[in-house]
Amino acid sequence: MAATTTATVPATRSAAAPVRRRRRLLSYWPQYVAIAPFYLLFLAFGLFPILFSIYLSFNEWDGVGEMTFVGLGQYQYLVADPRFWNAVSNTFIIWIGSTVPMLFLALLLAFLLHQSIRFKGAYRVAFFLPNVTSMVAMAIVFGSVFSDSFGLANGFLRWLGSQEIGWLTESWAIKLTLVLMVIWRWTGYNAIIYLAGLQAIPTELYDAAKVDGASTWRIFTSVTVPMLRPVILFTVITSTIGGLSLFTEPQVLLANSGGNENSGGPGEAGMTIVLYQYNQAFTQFDFGYGSAIAWALFLIAAVFSIINWRLVREREGLADRRTRRAGR
Amino acid sequence: MSGTILDTTPRLGDPGQQRADRSAVRRSLAGRIAIHVGLALTALISVFPFYWLVAMATQSTAEIFGYPTRLLPGDQFGVNVANLLDSVDLLGALLNTIFVALASAVLVMFFDSLAAFAFAKFDFPGKDVLFVLLLATFLVPGSLSLVPSFILMSWLGWVGGFEALIVPGMANAFGIFLLRQFAAASIPDSLVEAARIDGAGFFRTYVHVALPMLRGGLAFLGIFTFVAQWNDYVWPLIVMVDPQRQVLQTALQSLNAIYNTDYGMVMAGALISVVPLIVVFLVGARHFISNIAAGALKG
Amino acid sequence: MARLSRRRLLGLASAGTAALAAGGLSGCGSEVSLSSDPHELVLWLWNRSASPELLAESARGIPGTDFRLRADYIGTTFDTKLRTSLAAGAYIPDLTNINSNNSLYFPAEDQFLDLYELGAAELERDFYPWKWSLGETPTGRFCFFPLDIGPTGFFYRQDIFERAGLPSEPDEVSAATRTWDEWIELGEKLRRDADAGMVQTAAQLFNQFLNASPERYFDTADRPLYEQEGSAVRQAWDLAVRAVQTGVVTGASSTTDQNAAWVSGRTAGQVEGAWWSEIVVDTAPETAGSWRIAQQPGPPGNSGGSFVAVPRTCKNPEAAFAWIRWAQSPQMQARTFNDVQLFPSTPESFELGVMESSDFFGDQDPLEFFSEAAQTVPTTFISTHESKVGAFRTELGLVSNGSKEPERAWEDAVTEVNRVLRKRGVL
Repeated sequence: MAATTTATVPATRSAAAPVRRRRRLLSYWPQYVAIAPFYLLFLAFGLFPILFSIYLSFNEWDGVGEMTFVGLGQYQYLVADPRFWNAVSNTFIIWIGSTVPMLFLALLLAFLLHQSIRFKGAYRVAFFLPNVTSMVAMAIVFGSVFSDSFGLANGFLRWLGSQEIGWLTESWAIKLTLVLMVIWRWTGYNAIIYLAGLQAIPTELYDAAKVDGASTWRIFTSVTVPMLRPVILFTVITSTIGGLSLFTEPQVLLANSGGNENSGGPGEAGMTIVLYQYNQAFTQFDFGYGSAIAWALFLIAAVFSIINWRLVREREGLADRRTRRAGR
Repeated sequence: MSGTILDTTPRLGDPGQQRADRSAVRRSLAGRIAIHVGLALTALISVFPFYWLVAMATQSTAEIFGYPTRLLPGDQFGVNVANLLDSVDLLGALLNTIFVALASAVLVMFFDSLAAFAFAKFDFPGKDVLFVLLLATFLVPGSLSLVPSFILMSWLGWVGGFEALIVPGMANAFGIFLLRQFAAASIPDSLVEAARIDGAGFFRTYVHVALPMLRGGLAFLGIFTFVAQWNDYVWPLIVMVDPQRQVLQTALQSLNAIYNTDYGMVMAGALISVVPLIVVFLVGARHFISNIAAGALKG
Repeated sequence: MARLSRRRLLGLASAGTAALAAGGLSGCGSEVSLSSDPHELVLWLWNRSASPELLAESARGIPGTDFRLRADYIGTTFDTKLRTSLAAGAYIPDLTNINSNNSLYFPAEDQFLDLYELGAAELERDFYPWKWSLGETPTGRFCFFPLDIGPTGFFYRQDIFERAGLPSEPDEVSAATRTWDEWIELGEKLRRDADAGMVQTAAQLFNQFLNASPERYFDTADRPLYEQEGSAVRQAWDLAVRAVQTGVVTGASSTTDQNAAWVSGRTAGQVEGAWWSEIVVDTAPETAGSWRIAQQPGPPGNSGGSFVAVPRTCKNPEAAFAWIRWAQSPQMQARTFNDVQLFPSTPESFELGVMESSDFFGDQDPLEFFSEAAQTVPTTFISTHESKVGAFRTELGLVSNGSKEPERAWEDAVTEVNRVLRKRGVL
């Protein structure tokens, strides 16, 4: 416990008079200055749009004409909207289906890349590419790979003698295609975060472990993972938020399939929460409902972020103590 | 042999293993081949769509949609690029985008690392509440803010200006959270404490301790801020109203037609827009390699 | 102290929001016009929605005025940009192209000038009447001036029809498919003898049936018609379902699959607007000479086509209208066709003898075919609420991939559309 506060300017508990309290606050001025830019920018550019969108969610508005106040009407409609709940369930399936393998794979890749092996630089660039390859190109490439009768994926399945899959037409297969697309696009990104995290771990810890005769796996589980825990927590939280607000992949992959624009393909099997929000706001021009969906997602994401945080953080505390012991 | 990665047998504390694994680096030939096969396969899958983009950028629209699917590069790259240069001011857009992305990356790295260091290594009244608030803004839905943000910009007189693209995002929750986690993982409290005993203030400690130790995380943040700014499309589409001051993505998007888009040209543009990102990555990624944490500890 | 100021700030911000909402979001005090040059008008458009040649001439000067035109190319997501600018009341173009979804702007019609007030009425006789009427709002204001049109026909692969022993000359195919029943019958033979489909998707057929129908989803008072006995929507639905059940639909949904299907001959046809000729020329040049166009059963329809509108904040409406008048004259529409293949909305363009036709369709002249088709397109009304009836196509998709019974799907579609309409205050 004490270890975390050693670097901290000791806080005096006895502050009673407001003057003394203000002076005490003043002594922290560098920290406040350091964090101030974010909050000032947020007040200037973030708060107004947020208040605006909360206000919108209590109105009916087509984006150009008059607004009509509808109170909680949008939220009442949302609770009973089967399309919204379909989008929620799709989002969760795709999120869980992609995040777990993606983060595991990323950690493994980073660990391998961290070893002194050849072609490290080339591998790193390769893993970076999916994240920057333009989405216009992706639409065509994934459309080609997964197209039903002429796609490479089904061609491969035929070659294996296996049954073809309706990657872009069948409900479960659409979700699988999206899961694959997410894993493809974001694994390298997470691996690069982990790699940067690995490089920041003091080599003394490894040396100590090696002197102790620990195996590679042992080093991975008892030095790498615990030391990386804060970074892992970061990726878990950002993957949660990113996964729950999945949008680009279904939009690009299923842009016009299913007969409607931005509707997630046949039967809306690939409709996610944010795609539905976009569909309502920018295709249907129902900005009030779009805002209500956005705030519903905010609630869901907040709940899951808190759960994740609790789960990983408790262990982070544990890990801190363990590594501190190891480091000694 | 204990060299392979997935060796799950626990051995710590086994005295017989004292010198068996002197190094996680030196491993059997079989182990190394296994690693390379795994990495190469993943790399292949990662690169394949990019390769396809290269192939498409060298083909005509007819070849792109040709049947059977054509996976080899064509010979239309020159034609596609010529059409592209005819249609948009590519060089102007490229320079504008480089400026915007670079300015954003530098500002974000500076403001975010400053705040992250304060959050990670210091206590101050209200810290927890402020940090939770910061994380909460991370969750706030963004896409609906187009209209109010545009109104704000027009009040400020920033519509059409680069400040509209750079200023609102120059300190962000994502980067602060990222770097805070990196700082927590990699900056030992003892170093900060030592700096304090030496009489260094917050900002000196930031420059001499935090910045060098956060190099890897900063490089990541810099690269991905650059990438994000480079690829951002919707906000620039709304706010950049001056055709003389376009960024790359809005210029490229203006090539799309409702019915008959020239995909060869669009793909050539997409390819050209990715190449600078690879260069930035190569430059920035050097900071993932050099392990400076050890040096800093000794210093 | 800190708390007080924070509360005041929140108060200020919410007051600002409320004021904005009350004031109809007019961006008070901000720049309305895009160009500070008093003699420059700005037009928003997307690529290939105007002739670059004509735009270059207009940049030097709009004939008969001392104004110049600046053309800003916005991407295909330009609706988002236009709506944001209109909502903010700032940085609005002086003229803007609008796609065939112009009815979406009906509720916001006061944002655009009534071109009748600028003298548009005298030009009406130059245009196809059905296209002209699509530019009128339900209140009778003429806000959307015709650019191009998309008269439809049945494109088909002559070589494959021949191989299957079916009628293969355009006249023969037209004569053999006077009704949709005959068309389906022909399709069944095509499936049996050449294992090919007539169209790619059920939704496509459904849309094109309605595009050729005088009655669509709503009447001119925005009352829904689809639930009535024998409604056009129900007929379109039944046709699409029958096409699925008889194997006349190929079921290729992705762009890649569709192109491959046309090139390989798995799909030997397409019901689409004149502009589709360009697509097939661009994407499948190796099929040159093997395509022909026949009349679809019933009257031809219209698919796509765009408009130009003048926002009410236009710097000089007279000059803007002078440009429209000049650029949309039969002569200039003919030139535009030669430059970017936008199909003219003025019948006279075809009589000028300057338009260059394509030889992609062998001995058949597509210009002749579509200019004739354009004369018999029925006049119809597209309601602003048509954006809310997507459930028909969604449910049709479920019928196509075999996951729902047609009757059940129809009921679900109607229920869903009605639910959406009730929410939006239409029902």
